Amino acid sequence: MTATPNPDHPAPAATGADRPGAPRRAVVVGGNRIPFARAGGPYARSSNGDMLTAALDGLVARFGLAGETIGEVAAGAVLKHSRDFNLTREAVLGSALAPQTPAYDVQQACATGMETVVGLSNKIRLGQIESAIAGGVDSTSDAPIAVSDPLRRALLDLSRARTPRQRLAAVARIRPAHLAPSAPTTGEPRTGLSMGEHQALTTAAWAITREAQDELAAASHHRLAAAYERGFFDDLMTPYRGLTRDANLRPDTSVEKLAALKPVFGRSLDTPATMTAGNSTPLSDGASTVLLASDAWAAERGLPVLASVVDAEAAAVDFVHGDEGLLMAGAYAVPRLLARTGMSLQDFDLVEIHEAFAATVLCNLAAWQDERFCTERLGLGAPLGSIDRDRLNVVGSSVAAGHPFAATGGRIVATLATLLAQKGTGSRGLISVCAAGGQAVAMILEAA
Amino acid sequence: MTATPGTPGGRVTAGEGRQAAAGDAPARVELAAVPGLGALYARGVAASARLAALSRAGRAPSRLPDVEYVVHGVVADADRLTAYQHLLGETASDALPAGYVHVLAFPVATALMVAGDFPLPLAGMVHLANRVEQHRALRLGERLTVRARAQHLRPHRSGTQVDLVTEVGGEGADGVAGTDGVVWRGVSTYLAKGVRLATGGDDDAAASAPAPRREAFVAPTPTGRWTLAADAGRRYAAVSGDRNPIHLSALTARPLGFPRAIAHGMDTAARALAAVGPARGESFTWTAEFARAVLLPGTVTVRVAPDDGGSGYAYTGWDARSGTLHLSGTVVPS
Repeated sequence: MTATPNPDHPAPAATGADRPGAPRRAVVVGGNRIPFARAGGPYARSSNGDMLTAALDGLVARFGLAGETIGEVAAGAVLKHSRDFNLTREAVLGSALAPQTPAYDVQQACATGMETVVGLSNKIRLGQIESAIAGGVDSTSDAPIAVSDPLRRALLDLSRARTPRQRLAAVARIRPAHLAPSAPTTGEPRTGLSMGEHQALTTAAWAITREAQDELAAASHHRLAAAYERGFFDDLMTPYRGLTRDANLRPDTSVEKLAALKPVFGRSLDTPATMTAGNSTPLSDGASTVLLASDAWAAERGLPVLASVVDAEAAAVDFVHGDEGLLMAGAYAVPRLLARTGMSLQDFDLVEIHEAFAATVLCNLAAWQDERFCTERLGLGAPLGSIDRDRLNVVGSSVAAGHPFAATGGRIVATLATLLAQKGTGSRGLISVCAAGGQAVAMILEAA
Repeated sequence: MTATPGTPGGRVTAGEGRQAAAGDAPARVELAAVPGLGALYARGVAASARLAALSRAGRAPSRLPDVEYVVHGVVADADRLTAYQHLLGETASDALPAGYVHVLAFPVATALMVAGDFPLPLAGMVHLANRVEQHRALRLGERLTVRARAQHLRPHRSGTQVDLVTEVGGEGADGVAGTDGVVWRGVSTYLAKGVRLATGGDDDAAASAPAPRREAFVAPTPTGRWTLAADAGRRYAAVSGDRNPIHLSALTARPLGFPRAIAHGMDTAARALAAVGPARGESFTWTAEFARAVLLPGTVTVRVAPDDGGSGYAYTGWDARSGTLHLSGTVVPS
C-alpha cells in the first residue's frame, strides 16, 4: 500500500488559498465548548441534544449571534439515538440562533468534528455560504441502548400484526433471554477487538514503551493544567452543570503515579502490556463548536479571525486483515496532505495529534521517523522526520481533557486556531485525528 | 415422504446397496427434497446402533456404497439466508455464502451417511477438514441440483476416515442442469473414531503409521477475536438446521465425550471466510482444518490475513490463554 500519489487528489503546490484562481479562504472565527465530563459524571442525565445546544448557545453569546441566520450548522454524534435523526437541526431550533438556520448531521466516528469543519469550510470557500458552525457532541453516559434482535423483530412484527392471532404469535416468540439490552461498545464490528486492543497490537509492533506513554500522558495533564491556569480556555469554554474545567484533568499526576497503574490492554500478547487507564482516554461526555466564516462576513461584524483552513485530507487503512494498525490512518493522511501543499513535517509551528491513546501519538511519530515505513508504505524517498515535542499538543490533548468522540475535532480546531493567532500571522499548524474503522482526518490551519 | 429402507424418502434408479462392478454407473437415489437433519440424526443414532450390532455379528458393511444421492430444485429461503448471513458476519446480499451452500446441501450427504449400507456410524463422527471450491456465487432464487456421494474410505491412526463429496450446480428454468455444471464442490472429511474396518479401505499403511509429528503451534499476531456465547451452537443450529446435539448444550454434548457444547466447525470456518470479505471474489477455494474443538462459551483469537507468499488469505483460530490451535485454513481466489 502506498499513500501517495492519490489520483483523486491532484496536487497544487501553494498553501495559501488567496492565490489567483483559487477559491477564497475560510477562516476560524472562534470556538466554544463545554468542559468535558467523565462518563457517569455531572452530564450523565444530559442528552447529546442538551450538550450540543449548551455549547452552541455559548458560542452564540460569545460572538453576538442571537437571532442571526447562519449559513449552515453541521455537527454529529458517534453514539446517537435513532430518534436524534436531526440532532443538529434540533439543537439549532433549541438555540438562540435564528430558526431559519439550516443544519445537517455528520458521522465519521471520532473524526466527526473534523469532517464538519472540512465540509463547511469547503462550502465557504466555494461561496455557497458565508458563515457556518461546525461541531460535535457525545455522551457515553446517555448512550442509546438497543434491544436484542429477536426482541426487536418480534416487536416490529407485533406492530405490523393485524389480527389477534398474529399479535399473539409475535408476542409468543419473545423469550426472557431476549430482554437483555445491548449497549454500544468500542469494539470494531469486523474484528471483535476493542479500540484499546487494536492499539495494543500497534503499540507492540512499534515497540512503544510504557515509560514513553506515561511521559506523554503526564505532559498532557501538566500542559492542560497550565493552559487553564493562564486562562487560555476563558475564550473557548462555557461552564455547564457545575463544571468549569475538564473533569478528567489531574494537574498533580506524575510519571511515577501513572507507572503504578495496571495495564488494561494487550494483556494476551506475548509482549509486555503497556497501556493503562492513565495513558488512554477515558469515556467522556461533552460538546464543542467552531465558528467558521468568510473574511467578509467576519469583517462586517467586527469579529476576529484566528486562522484559515488551508487544506484537509482523509485516509483509511486495512486493519481488518492486519495490514495496518486501526489507529494509524493519520500516518497516511498527513504525508498526502504535505505532498499536496508542498510542506514538510518541520514546517509547522504547532502540531495536534489526537491522543486516542498516548501510544497512538507515539506510533504515528515513530512511523514518520522510520525509513522503511516512509519508503515502503508511504512511497517517499526519505523519512518524514521527527516533530519537536515542544510543538506537539502544547496545551494537552485527549488523555487529559477526555474524548467525547465527535466533540474532539471541534476542541482541537478551536484550540489550535487560538494558539496560532497568539503566535502571529503566518504561523502554521497541523492536526491529525484518528477514528474507528481505520480512518483519520488531517488538516492544516494557518494564522490569519 | 415414502421411506425406502435405508434411503430416506428416496427413489432408487439403480441397484441400491449393491456394489456396482467397475465401469458401472453408480446407483442413484433421487430424493424429493432436502431431508431435515433432525430426523436424519435420529435415524443416524438408530443406524449407529444397528451398525454396532451387525459389527458384533461380523456382518457390518465394510465398503462405501457405490451410490449418489441427488436432489433437484433446491432453492434457498430468503429469511433463513439472511439469518445465516447476519450470524456469520456476511452482508445479506443475494449471493449465497459458500458456507450457506454447505448447510443447504449437506443434509443430502447426511442422508447417505445414515443409510443402512453406509459402513461408519454417524454418532460421534468428527469433522476433520473441509474444502470448498466455488466457481461462481450461487444466488438466491436459483434452482439448484445437489449431488452427494462418499468416497475415499481410509484408515486413520485413530479410526477410519471418509470424504463426503457434495456438488451443487444451477438449474435452468426447465430443471435441466445449467450450462456451467458443478458450481460449488464441497469435500467434508470425517473421522469415525475407533472404527476399524475389516477390509481396511484404500490405504492400509496409514492405520499403522505413527501419528504425524504436528509442528508446535506458535500463535501469530492476532487480527481479531470471536466471542462465542454459550448459545452459539444453538444459534448456528437455528440458521443451518444442523441440530447435532454435540453443539446444543452441555447436557447433550456430554454423552458424546465433551464437558460442554462445542462450536460447529463450519460456524468458525464461515466466520473466517466472512472476515476475508469481498477480497475473496466469487470464485475461490476455501479450506479448513479443524484441530481442538471450541468449548462454549469460548473466545477464539484469530488472524485472517494475506497468505505470506501465497495468492490468497490464510486464517488461524486459537485459544490465546492456552495457546491451543482450534482451526486453520485458506481462502484462495481462483
